[in-house]
Amino acid sequence: MFEYLVRRLALMVPTAFLVTVGVFLLIHLTPGDPAVIILAESYTPEAAAQLHKDLGLDKPLPEQYALYMGRLAHGDLGRSVRNKLPVTQAIGERLPATLELGLAALCWSLLLAIPLGTIAALRRGRALDVIASGATVAGISMPNFVLGILLILFFGLLLRALPVGGFAALSDSVPDNLTRLILPAIALGTFGAAANMRFTRSSMIEVLSQDYIRTARAKGASRLRVVNHHALKNALIPVVTIVGLQIGAILEGALVTETVFSWPGVGKLAVDSIFGKDFPVVQGIVLMSALSFMLANLLVDIVYAWLDPRISYA
Amino acid sequence: MRRAGILLLFALVLSACGGGGGGTSATPSGAPKTGGTLKVAQETEIVTLDPNASGLLVEREIYYNMYDSLLGIDAKLNFVPQLAKSWQFTDDKTLVFNLRSDVKFHDGTPFNGEAVKFNIDRYLTDPKSVRKSDLSSVDSVEAKDATTVVFHLKRPDGTLLAQLVDRAGMILSPTAIKQAGANLSVNPIGAGSGPFEFVEWKRDDHVTLKRNPNYWRKDKDGRQLPYLDQIIYRPIIDLNALLAALKTGDVDLVRTVAGKDVDGVKADSTLVYRDVPTLGFGAIWLNHSVPPFNDPAKAKAVALAIDRAQILKTVLFNVGVVSYGPISPASWAFDASQKIYDKPDPDKAKATATGFSFTLKTANSQDSIQTATLIQAQLLKAGITVNVLPEEFGRQTTETRAHQFEAALQGWSGRVDPDGNTFSFYHTGGSFNDGVYSNPQVDQLLEQARASTDRAKRKQLYADLQKILVGEVAEVYLTHGTVAQISTNKVRNFTLIPDGMNRFAEVWKS
Repeated sequence: MFEYLVRRLALMVPTAFLVTVGVFLLIHLTPGDPAVIILAESYTPEAAAQLHKDLGLDKPLPEQYALYMGRLAHGDLGRSVRNKLPVTQAIGERLPATLELGLAALCWSLLLAIPLGTIAALRRGRALDVIASGATVAGISMPNFVLGILLILFFGLLLRALPVGGFAALSDSVPDNLTRLILPAIALGTFGAAANMRFTRSSMIEVLSQDYIRTARAKGASRLRVVNHHALKNALIPVVTIVGLQIGAILEGALVTETVFSWPGVGKLAVDSIFGKDFPVVQGIVLMSALSFMLANLLVDIVYAWLDPRISYA
Repeated sequence: MRRAGILLLFALVLSACGGGGGGTSATPSGAPKTGGTLKVAQETEIVTLDPNASGLLVEREIYYNMYDSLLGIDAKLNFVPQLAKSWQFTDDKTLVFNLRSDVKFHDGTPFNGEAVKFNIDRYLTDPKSVRKSDLSSVDSVEAKDATTVVFHLKRPDGTLLAQLVDRAGMILSPTAIKQAGANLSVNPIGAGSGPFEFVEWKRDDHVTLKRNPNYWRKDKDGRQLPYLDQIIYRPIIDLNALLAALKTGDVDLVRTVAGKDVDGVKADSTLVYRDVPTLGFGAIWLNHSVPPFNDPAKAKAVALAIDRAQILKTVLFNVGVVSYGPISPASWAFDASQKIYDKPDPDKAKATATGFSFTLKTANSQDSIQTATLIQAQLLKAGITVNVLPEEFGRQTTETRAHQFEAALQGWSGRVDPDGNTFSFYHTGGSFNDGVYSNPQVDQLLEQARASTDRAKRKQLYADLQKILVGEVAEVYLTHGTVAQISTNKVRNFTLIPDGMNRFAEVWKS
């Protein structure tokens, strides 16, 4: 197990390296001059030339990349082209908001999916199952920004039940933070909820048809005990894998959700930086996302091995 | 920026919950109340709080409430005293300002001639300054004493006063500048002298300003200004979320609302909608250095075939007016005589030039693409084929700046001085002259108008200029939009000035 872990961690390094090359090329080859955007209405050719020099953008591409990698080796992600902030700080300021939103979305997706999926499996073919399955198709098909706007319209405008976006730090006001968290978390997590529910349902159906379940029932175990103690843990194994992949989907979905709800997280920073041609920030965010994604999947694989004693990474 | 596309559903739901009753302009009644927090939404996040490096409209808006300039403007765009009590040109290259003596910066240090000199020198010489071109005619500034400064100019400049209303004339506390160093752009604590002081900026979240208890201005009854305790600015990009936040009272004031929502807002009795013509304009920018528009006849054909009124009605819901040139009705230099392309005339267009095609670049926004598609249909009637090419804004601006385009749908937000709408765009080699337009007569008129301080003379020069620009189709001018401000009916005593900057010194909340 230990060697497996070491091997996986070691593999992350060349993968991350390839990611930096890919992102660097992508963002630099996309047309658009950051000086034009930064200077906006104060643009003059002289100011633009000066800015290019200040930002090192007048150097050839391979040299810019080499300089970037050199700094990266020292843990320096560079500075934002737009406001000179160190990229690590720019991302670090926004990370808690995204983590909070992502966690809430994940919780929503699991809290909704696992009970619903279990009940749908137990009541397979009956009314509840049909309704739940229909709802999940809707959940999977609807883009999260559509859901977001609909939630704003319904809960924000029509019912006036919840605030429509914005953010309040936990340190400022816990109730304000939580009420503003609800709608974006639902918008972000529903796709995952729908997918998880379907997986839980089919996995549960499969597990419930196993011999050892019948044996437990024959031995007199109650339905509740059979489900909670015997079936659920085994049924959740494929779901755990899916959740690992969903972390990527949540990071992705956060870009749009944070923009719609004005949630000041890393996703919104990414969108602003891409449009502002803020290369260092975009590279930093993509690198961070790639690493998080790889770590999350490693974690999922470890949990997977823990849950299923048949699995061993020797 | 981006808007989700669920127009129909949104319109349906909105019309269901839009209230009855006519929306009226704010009818201020009763004495102003002090206190309260004003929550303002901005359409994009700011980048810097230092006027030295600033390029964004949303930043200027915050500056006008935090910093004072040498002069201000009123709703008619006339200059009014601010930090300077009065000013005069002693000759056409010397401008003298008499300054107020009762102003303190938020950090307690006094405002005086030395402070003005320090700031202008900084705008002129700091390597990071983007204000140099605003002050290009200034040679040096002399602080004669605490209440007198003299600007020595390199050349006569009729546009300088307008520049000193905006960022290039904003005076910050030299002590605060020196103390903050590089942090001034994120933490300008104590730097301003305006009605509100800087409290904090949480990036992409909010900017908070609080009342300046020692502000030098009083209202006409002698009460200390400002009335409000606090202003909080928040960026909300999505226009639907913006309107929703306004309707729920989450924010008190916004600058933009989608054209389709204007009628709904006007009908809502809890909201107040104000607009004035903007100083800017929207146009089809033509590249005169490459085919097809290196041929003036083809440019004329396009101008003849366009139906501006249809664009105004269909895309902008009649919010705004048709444009007859780069200078809008909001400006004193507006000239309405060039109505030669007033009504579309596809037959005359065909006779002038036909059977050619070009690519029209547009932004990725719904309004731009809709406008371009309309133009495409209109020009087809004259036998001209248009390929519409939506492009992301940054990319399009970069390409047009590098003269890599045939035609592009763009706009300009406008400046108080008509020079700001013309010089950089039409002078040979101007910074915004993406279309490589060049006419020696135009150059001469622009230079003369810029140098003169006689408003009547300048007005004539700009009229002559516009005749040429419109006649030769330097650009195909389309529309002048509006500068709007939508607030809840609790926001009182607000005056909308055509530069679109929301100034809150005299605003109060009921």
